[in-house]
Amino acid sequence: MIRYVLKRIVLMIPTILITSLLIYWAMDLAGGDPVMTILPENATVEQQEALREEMGLNDPFLVRYLRYMGGLVTGDMGESYVTDRDVFLTFMERLPNTLLLGGSALIIACIIAIPLGIWTALNQNTWKDTGGMVFALFGVSMPNFWLGLMFILLFSIQWQLLPSGGTGGIEYLIMPAATVGLGLAALITRTTRSAMLDVVRQDYITTAKAKGAPRKRVIYYHAMKNAMIPIVTAVGMQFSLVMTGSALAETVFSWPGIGRLVFESIAARDIPMVTGSIILCCVLMSIINLAVDLLYAFCDPRIKAQYSNKG
Amino acid sequence: MSEKTNEKKFTGENILEIKDLVVHYETDDGCVQAVNGLSFSIGRERTLGLVGETGAGKTTTALSILNLVPSPPGVIKSGSIVLDGEDVLQMSEKELEQMRGNDVAMIFQDPMTALNPVITVGEQIAESIMLHEHVSQKEAMERAKEMLKLVGIAESRAYEYPHQFSGGMKQRVVIAIALTCQPNLLIADEPTTALDVTIQAQVLDLMQDLIRRNHMSMLLITHDLGVVAEVCNDVAVMYAGRIVEIGSTDEVFNATAHPYTEGLFGSLPNLKDQGEELEPIRGMMPDPMHLPEGCAFAPRCPYATEACSASVPYLRPMGGTHFVACHAYDRENFRLRRNQNG
Repeated sequence: MIRYVLKRIVLMIPTILITSLLIYWAMDLAGGDPVMTILPENATVEQQEALREEMGLNDPFLVRYLRYMGGLVTGDMGESYVTDRDVFLTFMERLPNTLLLGGSALIIACIIAIPLGIWTALNQNTWKDTGGMVFALFGVSMPNFWLGLMFILLFSIQWQLLPSGGTGGIEYLIMPAATVGLGLAALITRTTRSAMLDVVRQDYITTAKAKGAPRKRVIYYHAMKNAMIPIVTAVGMQFSLVMTGSALAETVFSWPGIGRLVFESIAARDIPMVTGSIILCCVLMSIINLAVDLLYAFCDPRIKAQYSNKG
Repeated sequence: MSEKTNEKKFTGENILEIKDLVVHYETDDGCVQAVNGLSFSIGRERTLGLVGETGAGKTTTALSILNLVPSPPGVIKSGSIVLDGEDVLQMSEKELEQMRGNDVAMIFQDPMTALNPVITVGEQIAESIMLHEHVSQKEAMERAKEMLKLVGIAESRAYEYPHQFSGGMKQRVVIAIALTCQPNLLIADEPTTALDVTIQAQVLDLMQDLIRRNHMSMLLITHDLGVVAEVCNDVAVMYAGRIVEIGSTDEVFNATAHPYTEGLFGSLPNLKDQGEELEPIRGMMPDPMHLPEGCAFAPRCPYATEACSASVPYLRPMGGTHFVACHAYDRENFRLRRNQNG
């Protein structure tokens, strides 16, 4: 198992290399001249050219990329064109906020979705099931930013219960987390429902009932233990949704996380900041994927066995 | 294993008596008449073979005994299933839970899917014990290991998961789960169908041995007449949700009375008459949504007359414990071809 984890971590290196190349290339294609951003408007052409030479912007693409990667290895991802602050440090400063938002959203989603999914599955084809599925459809269809704006209109402006943005106590977290969480809840509800519907039809559920296991035990022990496998997979795969959802919610609620950082950097054409943040997001996603894979093995002994065999 | 004190409330002759059982599956497409007025009983320490084609209602019958017919769409319409003097269909949920696994246990057809893939086999056996007896988890696990040993699996494998076992081993685990609480009645639903031929005999021997040792009764569902001959005291032949012939194995095999049973024997390959053509029963099982009027077998029966479609034949005595549901015996001197030159 430990060897498997180490192997996965080593495998992250090529992944990061390839994505970083793509990102660096895309940012290069996006064009835009950082010199114009940095220098005052009345700078002369000579001044601009001098700065370009100084920053190494006239070098060929590959040279610039290799120089960038060289810095990356030592943790030097350059400095922001706008604030002159270290890219890595800025990212790390914002990361806890995004993790807090994403984590809260995920918890809210699971608290709503898993019981709802089980409940709709057990009441399949009744009005309860239909109601639950309508909620799920609503959750999937609602754009995050729209839901966020509606929350602000209702809770901040109409009823003045919650602050419309910023950070601070838990009251600042509620609306952004609920915004991201509801969309996610819809997806998890659907997955839980279909997983439960599949599992309760399996023979081993009949075996459990034939042993004399009470209904609750059959559902929450025998069925849930199996249904957790597709649910964990779905949550893992949708984690990118948490990240993109957070980016939107962060913008709407002025939550100082990574999403907002990237958004602001793009708006300011702050190329080192954008490139660095996106590469770090890739690293983050790789780590999360690995964590989900390990969780998956934890849920399913068959997969765990595979890992142990492969070493 | 500790000998269970056999202080059952009722000590009638039969462990199980099913009367006029009707089970339908009510789907959107129509009503599937799976079991239509089925009656039979199983004597104490006897093994009854329930024989019939796929779709005859055998598994539905078995699930009815545990009151586990999947509902919806399954509905037990009428009838009674008296187990040790108590009607299963009248039991409360609580009583049912106490009965299942403890008084009646079931072995399922496909061992590949009958075990929970994410729970260790030891735990799955121990669960049965813990559900029915007040023992600690540790003690239950010890007993589970003993059960494993009894069915021929090393104790050390109790902590392994079902995917680490072969098909035959899994079926042994299923048997261990079923027998661990020493039920009075074991229902085995085609326990060897999914296994390799070489393993089939092993598993059957094991079951027979354990049943004898624990003085249990068994309902063995199968479509393999060879298995019936080897294991069963009595046979009931089922067709389209009804018993068409029932009697001791000797009676049914040597004095076959129903044309359908004759057809079943006719479709068996026989080593002695090699080269002789098999005689499959012509036609198909009737669609259980649209059963024919009268005798359901009449459309496929070589002896059928108009009378057969007029009314459902009742079980008539043929001497001894032998009964057959066939109108042909209204005719004087009627004999099946199989019995004519004997």
